[in-house]
Amino acid sequence: MTDAPPDTKTPPNAAPPAHADHPHHPDQPGEPDQPGELDQPGEPDHPGSTWPRHWPLLLLGAAVVPGVVLFAVGRWLEDPAVQAWRTVCLSITVQALPFLLLGTALSGAINAFVPARVFTRVLPRRPALAVPVAGAAGVVLPGCECASVPVAQSLIRRGVDPAAAFAFLLSAPAINPIVLTATAIAFPGSPAMVLARLLASLVTAAAMGWLWLWLGRAEWLKPVARHTGHRPGLSRWDEFRTGFQHDFLHAGGFLVVGAMAAATFNVLVPRTVLDTFADSPWLSVLFLAALAILLSVCSEADAFVAASLTGFSPTARLTFMVVGPMVDLKLIALQTGTFGRAFAVRFSAATVVVAILCSVLIGAVLL
Amino acid sequence: MKRPLQALLLLLSGLGLLHATVVTDHYLRYVKPGMHLLLVASGALLLVLGAAEAWSLWRKARDEGEAGDDRQAAPTHDEAATHDEAVTHDEAVTHDEAVTHDEAVTHDEAHAHGHDHSTPPRVAWLLLLPALSLLFYAPPAIGAYTASREAPKAVAVTDQDDFDPLPKTSPLPITLTDFTTRVQQDRDRAIDGRTVEMTGFVTPDKGASAEGGGGDEATSWYLTRAIVSCCAADAQFVKVRVHGAPPPPADTWVTLTGTWHPSGTLGTRTAEAALDAHTVKKAPRPPNAYADAVPLTN
Repeated sequence: MTDAPPDTKTPPNAAPPAHADHPHHPDQPGEPDQPGELDQPGEPDHPGSTWPRHWPLLLLGAAVVPGVVLFAVGRWLEDPAVQAWRTVCLSITVQALPFLLLGTALSGAINAFVPARVFTRVLPRRPALAVPVAGAAGVVLPGCECASVPVAQSLIRRGVDPAAAFAFLLSAPAINPIVLTATAIAFPGSPAMVLARLLASLVTAAAMGWLWLWLGRAEWLKPVARHTGHRPGLSRWDEFRTGFQHDFLHAGGFLVVGAMAAATFNVLVPRTVLDTFADSPWLSVLFLAALAILLSVCSEADAFVAASLTGFSPTARLTFMVVGPMVDLKLIALQTGTFGRAFAVRFSAATVVVAILCSVLIGAVLL
Repeated sequence: MKRPLQALLLLLSGLGLLHATVVTDHYLRYVKPGMHLLLVASGALLLVLGAAEAWSLWRKARDEGEAGDDRQAAPTHDEAATHDEAVTHDEAVTHDEAVTHDEAVTHDEAHAHGHDHSTPPRVAWLLLLPALSLLFYAPPAIGAYTASREAPKAVAVTDQDDFDPLPKTSPLPITLTDFTTRVQQDRDRAIDGRTVEMTGFVTPDKGASAEGGGGDEATSWYLTRAIVSCCAADAQFVKVRVHGAPPPPADTWVTLTGTWHPSGTLGTRTAEAALDAHTVKKAPRPPNAYADAVPLTN
């Protein structure tokens, strides 16, 4: 980690001096000098060959300061809290990477290999009908929520109505067979919880789709370069590869942002704090919804966390499982990167409200 | 972001994943063993992607070298998804100079930021942190620091009366979860007076040391196991309080033997999962630290 900043800075910093050096010293190769220039800020190698004033001081500083900084950063990194933060951050990233790859590969494949007419044929023509169908289609995407954001984006690019794509985005991580099985295992002897989770997630996804049809505005969405799918003259494989690569790097960066935010809350807010709110039925629902957003637990695991929150009512735990796969810190980061901030803020806020309402209603009936 | 750097980022991410899964087993610090194949496949896929990008760049550079300043060559060989990059690139070729080429691309990137979607944003650089972290500086498994701040994992409440009779071996190897269940739910009190053997890591009792505690509380600590259902971010902790032995340093793995420390009514929820330690031995960290398993008996 300590190596990262010099590495990241290398290209932008190194290029201009090399470029500037060339006219004055055409015979002197600029490249081999660059590593040295980075390590000790360059004074002895100065092309003007006039030594700057106080050069021994500068040299001493160049020798001592990096060492001290490295030592201080090293000590800081050994702190248990920082280590716990790094572990949680890396865990979330490592856990999500394969699913993010799956999602971006699917997204790239949809772009390069699936003709747009497939979607118009599969989905009902009327958006209001396409929303619940797309929501129910979420069953077929196994994996956690990181995969669904890039897939939803590529659906929109290929002309699927955004409302239907959003219903798919919300329902896919919550109602797929893996997640439902995990829920059944985490809550042995209460199949009602599995059913309630399925229904509440589906209803929330459909409601959000319809809400988008009713109130949504296209200008909230970041203008995406509308991918036209396969273009004649270009190899499909290259289109797939470059699309995949772009989507992965893009979403991966935002995944790390989300993992950092989630790790910060994981380390700062111990779960014991939230037990103090377990007694009030209303507060407990709201606090478990907040906890789901802050902890950003992967949807395949959140049922086990919910099962461990024994002080809370079943409805509150249902809320935790419905809100978590739809809104959390890493998803907000991913959506911001993919669809833009104006969209992510409105959409996440509305989803939280709708998800809580649906969970409370369905929880009251079923649990 | 320049395309060679994208290739580098992909290659480093792939290497990081493979380093954590194939070369070492660091991945077990973060996720469950079941993720192994998926992670290896992901690492390999990222390597292939990075290599493919590097290969296509190398081929492009070579073709341009051969084509010289033949204008018609550039658009067909150019594999970037955008037209404007192809155009600026074309300009760069006429100057036929690596440095100007670089400049053209950075320039392109700078003003493409607002509208163009073909180059990943700068935030993609953040992928470098997990990649380098996995390669060179993998943080340890989640441990005592987090465990001391979390409430103990609730043991599933089952009103079962049919606890199997405990084996006669002594000391009896048992998991922390089983021990807690026996203490709090076994109405036959089969655990009473039995010498048990458990393995876990040491979590200091911060509350006791900070507030001074009462009686022998100051010398008690927790034997702990982390249980993970997906990744270390959702770790839950089973804790058994240990009395009668000085606390080893935090995060040390120990195997200890002891008997139930009477507090509360055995076989009901009031009973505390606590132990009077007889022996405490250092133990090697188990390969899969995120599960509650019986100690390996010798």
